[in-house]
Amino acid sequence: MKDVVKIRGLKSGLQLLFDKTAPFDAIKDAILEKLTTGDKFFIRGTTVFIDKNNFSAEEIEQLRRLFHRHGMLFSENLPVTKPKFSPPPAPPAPVVEQQVEKEKVKPTLVVNRTLRGGQEVRTESSVLVFGNVNPGAQIIAGGSIDIRGTCRGMVHAGAFGDQTACIVADKLRPIQIRIADLIARPPDNMKSAVQAERASIKNGYIVFEPILR
Amino acid sequence: MCEIIVITSGKGGVGKTTTTANIGVGLAMRGNRVALIDTDTGLRNLDLLLGLENRIMYDLVDVTSGRVPYKKALVRHKKFETLYLLPTSQIRDKSAVNPEQLVQLCNEMKSDFEFIIIDCPAGIEQGFKTAIAAADTAIVVTMPEIAAVRDADKIIGELGRADKENIKLIVNRIRPQMVEKGDMLDMPDINEILSIECIGQVPDDEYVVTSTNKGEPAITMKDSLAGQAYRNIVGRICGESIPFLKPPKEGFFTRLKRLFGML
Repeated sequence: MKDVVKIRGLKSGLQLLFDKTAPFDAIKDAILEKLTTGDKFFIRGTTVFIDKNNFSAEEIEQLRRLFHRHGMLFSENLPVTKPKFSPPPAPPAPVVEQQVEKEKVKPTLVVNRTLRGGQEVRTESSVLVFGNVNPGAQIIAGGSIDIRGTCRGMVHAGAFGDQTACIVADKLRPIQIRIADLIARPPDNMKSAVQAERASIKNGYIVFEPILR
Repeated sequence: MCEIIVITSGKGGVGKTTTTANIGVGLAMRGNRVALIDTDTGLRNLDLLLGLENRIMYDLVDVTSGRVPYKKALVRHKKFETLYLLPTSQIRDKSAVNPEQLVQLCNEMKSDFEFIIIDCPAGIEQGFKTAIAAADTAIVVTMPEIAAVRDADKIIGELGRADKENIKLIVNRIRPQMVEKGDMLDMPDINEILSIECIGQVPDDEYVVTSTNKGEPAITMKDSLAGQAYRNIVGRICGESIPFLKPPKEGFFTRLKRLFGML
């Protein structure tokens, strides 16, 4: 059977595509089912894009309410301008296609200097930093992040949803740490670890653990 | 051979202008021909610190706009004959001078001076970009305080982006007692974050305030600790290797108190 609703992942949200022949009620039911079964695509705060040409104004209004009730942001306009999470050398925008295992091997980005306050690295791939990541600097990577130095900035691994991404640093002291859709903040008086640490997601939490290297 | 140095910090109030005045006077005391250029257009202070406010005839904007040759705008210091100030306008703002004009001016002045020191305005906008355009060396001034260190870090990044590789650090207004107690960032902390060569650690000193009011930089005062630190900085700029000042010995009463504390 052909899906009535298809989900396409965009950098700044989700785009819903519909079977043009399906009746509106069927579409609504399909969306409701996806929302209530806890499909991992529909995280609270996600923006959902729907092409308004497919529906009447009243139907659009119904959909808007439906999404708002489930904590979603609703938009009729596809982001044509640069999406919020776009990496600097922008390859074609969509990364996640539902049911398609992506994980194409992308070369690791090597940063051969210290990232200072206000500097930012954004990439779809993994990042290797030979240097420190200072407070005020940020790294947003689609893959994992490895810092051969002290990490004091904001680091976001698996920024496009990869829950298996991890963050490794000789000294892991970030202001904030994000992996996929989880955000954590180190405790205010964290003991300083003597060895390198790795942060990864375990049972829905970001966990720090010492590693040898 | 002329060296063009820009004194910058990002954050305001950490002592860029004070450092400029002291290093300028210090280099002139050693007999170098020194020009100080104030690029903090609209908020000029360098003339005050040198006590030269009432001698200004023309300013930087007059020079860069071609109204007068730079030699006419230079103000010679009353005490140190090889020290000149090129003041800026108090009326105009930062948009009055652009980077190309400053580079051209420095190229003209190069042959007449051993050192040109540019006092940079706070911030990272146009004034900053103008000030650093001509420099060979940048001296970043910071304070042992997280906001100042954070801004210094940002500035070092910006200098790197502008291809300025020769960057030195001066840490100003250190309070040794607070550092000792752990209430203030200490030098290893700062060095670890900024990781650039440090050429000066200047203690917080009341003389700096009084000397500012008098128009005579602290470097001229024999018994000022900050003055000594600035003299050492000047030595290091001239290529000498001078160890850093040790924090001053604590007074008799403090020691006594500590002794009782220990008992």
